[in-house]
Amino acid sequence: MDTILNKPQRRFLAAISSLFLFIISFNSAFAADAEKLFKQNCAVCHSLGKNKLAGPGLEGIGTRVPDDAWLAKWIKNNKEVLKSGDAYAKKIVGENNGAEMSVFTHLSDEEIAALVTYIKNPPQPKEATTAKSPAAGEEKAEEKGINPLAILIGVIAFLIVIIGVLRGVAHSLKNIQNERMGLPGEEAIGPWREFKMWVVNHKTTTGVIVLFILGTLLTEGWYALKAIGVYEEYHPTQPIAFSHKVHAGDNAINCQYCHSGVEKSKTAGIPSVNICMNCHKGISSGPNTGTTEIAKIYEAAGWDPDKAEYSKPQKPIQWVKVHNLQDFVYFSHQQHVKVGKQDCANCHGDIKEMTTAKQVSPLTMGWCIDCHRKTEVPGMKDNPYYESLHKKLAEKYKGQPITVDKMGGIECGKCHY
Amino acid sequence: MNKKVIKTVSVVGLFSCLAIGFTSCEKRDPNSPGVEFMPDMYRSPSLESNMAYTMLESGEIMQANRLPVKGTVARGYLPYVYGNDTAGYGNAGRHLHNPLPKNETNLKQGEELYGKFCVHCHGTSGQGDGLVGGKLPGSPPSFTGALKNLPEGKMFHTITYGKGLMGPHASQLTQEERWKVVLYIQKLQNPEGMATANIAANATPAETKPEEKK
Repeated sequence: MDTILNKPQRRFLAAISSLFLFIISFNSAFAADAEKLFKQNCAVCHSLGKNKLAGPGLEGIGTRVPDDAWLAKWIKNNKEVLKSGDAYAKKIVGENNGAEMSVFTHLSDEEIAALVTYIKNPPQPKEATTAKSPAAGEEKAEEKGINPLAILIGVIAFLIVIIGVLRGVAHSLKNIQNERMGLPGEEAIGPWREFKMWVVNHKTTTGVIVLFILGTLLTEGWYALKAIGVYEEYHPTQPIAFSHKVHAGDNAINCQYCHSGVEKSKTAGIPSVNICMNCHKGISSGPNTGTTEIAKIYEAAGWDPDKAEYSKPQKPIQWVKVHNLQDFVYFSHQQHVKVGKQDCANCHGDIKEMTTAKQVSPLTMGWCIDCHRKTEVPGMKDNPYYESLHKKLAEKYKGQPITVDKMGGIECGKCHY
Repeated sequence: MNKKVIKTVSVVGLFSCLAIGFTSCEKRDPNSPGVEFMPDMYRSPSLESNMAYTMLESGEIMQANRLPVKGTVARGYLPYVYGNDTAGYGNAGRHLHNPLPKNETNLKQGEELYGKFCVHCHGTSGQGDGLVGGKLPGSPPSFTGALKNLPEGKMFHTITYGKGLMGPHASQLTQEERWKVVLYIQKLQNPEGMATANIAANATPAETKPEEKK
């Protein structure tokens, strides 16, 4: 370089290249800014494609609107454009059923100019990330298909058959030997008769085996009887593969957002579809099942994702109730959550990690009472009446913790009436 | 002797049958709740909340959760006069004002409610940076940016009916709760000003009706 260019030439080149670099960096910063501006201000209602969100899609906007200046004016304050009686403005408002667009008077003219450039020449959309195949979850469920008891029974049956065949073979071999030696053939003894003879000759062993078997069966039977009517571990397949892990776990949505009845009612409530739609109006693809499961919400809500409106017939989702408390017992979520300040996880377990909701507590009376005996009740500082009652209890049970059962929490009529 | 043996064996057999019978009811199938003794004590003919049931005459399946009978008014219900349209939004912004006093209790409850019902989209500081907000096609506008001067009536209107990608939250929040949330959003809009001036001026005892007990 030195040999070809003299000093002033080099200086000029440096100046030119730095200017060039400056323009490039300025331009890219500008583009990034416009993208950010778009995401912050416009993307809530407008997509860059054809599909309608709350407002129309912006694809091909450059060819639709009168000119850039109009677009800039419209973005800044669409109310003024409408007031001025602009024909195109009236037309698009009519096309969108009179939906109102926000005004963006807080944006500077430069920012709006950047936005206009950006929405006219949007960046190419990135390839949609393909959803993980739903098969992964299904395979897992099938793994533990074969009952170990069935395997055991199969092996035993197989052994019995083998023993029978070998006995037959041994018996005929012995008869052949006897024949050769000129002895009379032995009469075949049935396995049942031989077993009985063995039992008669081994009374103690038989007794021990029988006792062992009886003991095992009795305990097993006892626990099996106790499990009648207890739904612990019940986690039925739901009509929509809703995952608590994705919603409450990964996205940290509060339980009460959907189960909003928990502080106001006896039941926590299964959310109605409109609550699903509060987010899924905008989110149509999930991390586990892609669009298939979310499409079921749209079907239930009667939502047409292309037109972005509720125009189809609605169909209720038949969720399967997991926690079923019998009618002969009264339980109120409100009392436990609002007043008792119990955390959801105390009874429902680590639901934030569950793909299908599972009942982790037995919901038996023993389980209720156990908790009522253990849980301490703090006084109610803001209610003098309850506070006085609490003081009386503290005097009565000197030194002992005031638990729920001390204030009548295990009386029959409390829950059964 | 033989009779005794046969007796023992048959007893053992009986028990093993019983045991296999019971243990096979173990909850291996996640779709089966297990054995029920007297099922009608578990599933009574009365309608349970959150359960589907069948209408016998038509065979049509309907949800037990029904809309109230037309014309009935729930206790504590207040009608909301502004319609879900542009005019309603504008009118709510001009004429609708928060009936709740701006005191610590309401603000604290508002913060709690915001944490349950808003935070996943709007973010803790109201910048629209919540976990779900980031997954939406566009994140919600910031309370200190585009929505800095949003009047309280418009906030209430938006929580009630939704706006843009936001859905209506009227089924989750009562009117009183919505106003509490509005109070907290106003704090987010103007973190410094609100904390000192307004609360000091309005530090009157709460005028809200006592919380409804069941």
